Amino acid sequence: MTSRIVGLHVNQTFQELIVRPGVTLLQLLRDQLSLTATKRGCEDGWCGACTVIVDGKPVRSCLIPAETLENADVRTLEGVTPEGGLSALQEAMVENFATQCGFCNSGMLMVATALLAENPSPTSEEVIRAISGNVCRCTGYHPIVRAIMDAAAKMRSAETMAAE
Amino acid sequence: MLGSVQVPSNLEAAFDALANARSSAILAGGTVLMPGVNTKVSSLDTLVSIRRLGLSGIQVEGHRATVGATTTLDEFGGDPRLSVLGDVIESIASPPIRNMATVAGNLFAAQPNGDLAVAFLALDAEVTIASRTGARTAPVAEIFARGVEHGEIVTTVAFDLPTSDTWFYAKAMRRKMNSAAVVSVAAVVTVADGLVRTARIALGAVAPRPVRALSVEAALIGRPLDVASVSAAAALAARDTDPFTDAYASAWYRARVLPVHIRRALIGA
Repeated sequence: MTSRIVGLHVNQTFQELIVRPGVTLLQLLRDQLSLTATKRGCEDGWCGACTVIVDGKPVRSCLIPAETLENADVRTLEGVTPEGGLSALQEAMVENFATQCGFCNSGMLMVATALLAENPSPTSEEVIRAISGNVCRCTGYHPIVRAIMDAAAKMRSAETMAAE
Repeated sequence: MLGSVQVPSNLEAAFDALANARSSAILAGGTVLMPGVNTKVSSLDTLVSIRRLGLSGIQVEGHRATVGATTTLDEFGGDPRLSVLGDVIESIASPPIRNMATVAGNLFAAQPNGDLAVAFLALDAEVTIASRTGARTAPVAEIFARGVEHGEIVTTVAFDLPTSDTWFYAKAMRRKMNSAAVVSVAAVVTVADGLVRTARIALGAVAPRPVRALSVEAALIGRPLDVASVSAAAALAARDTDPFTDAYASAWYRARVLPVHIRRALIGA
């Protein structure tokens, strides 16, 4: 039971953390770094509540032992939320009533963030595919799909305006 | 209680880590192993990660594809050279799981998971396994039957790429996305002069491990690939299977719908 020091980037800050054997990225984020936007759901990989972005790809933080993340680039919801405000995706979630109990929001926002970074103009089928591994028991999913489509459209028009 | 997670950077160190542990398992994507660790049902003492051994990557030479053990399902599915198998990858779990789960790990995922393993059986894939005493190869069917020895590490899976007119795949699911198989069917079938010349049909979720539909294959040879002969051949599938009941489907239901999905896989109707 020897702990180990693991160095990794969390929301663009390099952290050196003492980790006990088998501590998952989820436990590291919530319990050691107090980054509690990432939710502990099933711890089985099914529900998607713990989804974060590692090296550009959305993954389940509950299934990754921290020891395997040396030098990884981890992005959580805290890292994509603007200081004192909401991102376009978060605003669209509010406007489209895509938030009810809120438990799935963090995971949904992380898969949506990764999707829009890779594909700024997704079809609704592509959005559904992206969120297919994230469980929401409140909304019935359609408001979430609409929110992601709306946010994508707003982000595209903001890009166009910035370019002009 | 987990006492150690080792992350060796070369095969020798990985063999050492496996040899020195009291009870160890090889960790690749973690999608099968980690739920047991999280819920403390796993009695493993040591996990040995093989993600830093340089075992990922895809090589295609002519028709032969060689895929590194820790290539993720996402990398496999995103490679245009392997696009003929794209439907198999898309049918497995969800994008975040496919970003983690590995090609070699899929060989050891218990049914009804492991759809890529079913495809590999149809493709007669060859598995390369490294150990301290050297490397050996084995047909994928042998891995399903006997697993690998403690201290052995799968390094690659190689197979001949089918063409889109010889490759067939269908998976019955509870939902259109992110469901394990009710049944899955993967096949390489060649037709010449209107008659089936060769057939290799693999079935998933109808036995404890992926199985060949040998009776169906035999009944198809020399016949046209049409509704009548495929339906007649598919009706024999019960001889090759031993379905089980789980949260996705009952054994009865699996047996009942299997011929339908063999037909859908082979002739789309």
